[in-house]
Amino acid sequence: MSGGNRRRIASALMRHAARIMPAARAGWSAAMESELGLIEDDNVALRWALGCVIAGYREWVSDMVLLRTWYARSALACLIALLALREFFAPLLIFAYRMQYMGLAHFLGLRTAGDDYRRFIPIMDATPSWLVVLWVASGLLYLVALWQMLRRSGASHVPFFLGFGLEFAGMLAIQSLETSTGVTVGPIPLIRAAGYFLTFSVGFVLWRATRKNIGAAS
Amino acid sequence: MARTPNRSSQTNRFLAAMLEDPLAWRYGYELLKKTGLQSGTLYPLLMRLSDQGLLEAQWREPEKAGKPPRHVYRLTPTGLVLARAQALPIAKPGIVNKWAGAKV
Repeated sequence: MSGGNRRRIASALMRHAARIMPAARAGWSAAMESELGLIEDDNVALRWALGCVIAGYREWVSDMVLLRTWYARSALACLIALLALREFFAPLLIFAYRMQYMGLAHFLGLRTAGDDYRRFIPIMDATPSWLVVLWVASGLLYLVALWQMLRRSGASHVPFFLGFGLEFAGMLAIQSLETSTGVTVGPIPLIRAAGYFLTFSVGFVLWRATRKNIGAAS
Repeated sequence: MARTPNRSSQTNRFLAAMLEDPLAWRYGYELLKKTGLQSGTLYPLLMRLSDQGLLEAQWREPEKAGKPPRHVYRLTPTGLVLARAQALPIAKPGIVNKWAGAKV
């Protein structure tokens, strides 16, 4: 490859690095680019530009993980909202069944495996009120975490992990009910474990974002 | 809550290089040659230290006409304290990046 080609590739790489670099870091990509213009050796210039692309991607990923971009925050917000909805689903179904709102119970039943709420009747009858309160509390804590994350107003991982703890306790309780009633409401253990891993990962991201943002502000 | 200072070998190498002449302003490429770090490691490190208030950066007009202005870096007093506490015991002066031999 000729020196001219290497220099052109280096310039193209540097433009790419500037494009992917978060807007808040634009000054840094300009700094890297100004150095490139002063490197005389084409091989060194190419390596420099490659490194700048890596630096650009590192900052881009860092912005994503620390929830500084609107799309990362939106994706996480949707995920937390889904977690909260999942916690409200069983209480709502039990409420509809016990209050004889059959239309609502049928509607919710269509969203379960088996498409019919009636197969859950034994376990709904056996579910104690405190377990319903536990699920609702877990869902509310997820919503508090969501609110705090969107407003960047505090340590959103705290309510999130509290909600996660309640959800986990609820899972242990429902497992004993599943055994006693013979009705299975949750997915197979592997899928359940994957779900909890995902939920824990969301909490970890929230914790890391809070920690980094507080660290940057102090 | 203060962030725990980074204790990676790259950070230590950088701090050691900066301690050779603590008051001097350094160019990015010059730091690359001194530390042996690649630009993909060096610049994220510079950004992070700058975010933490350990490094100051400014634009400097070029020495030769027609050349672009350059970014220069220097440790802040807080950065110097960290560097002295952390990098001095393992300072290895004279590290030269073997591929970055071109003149700037």
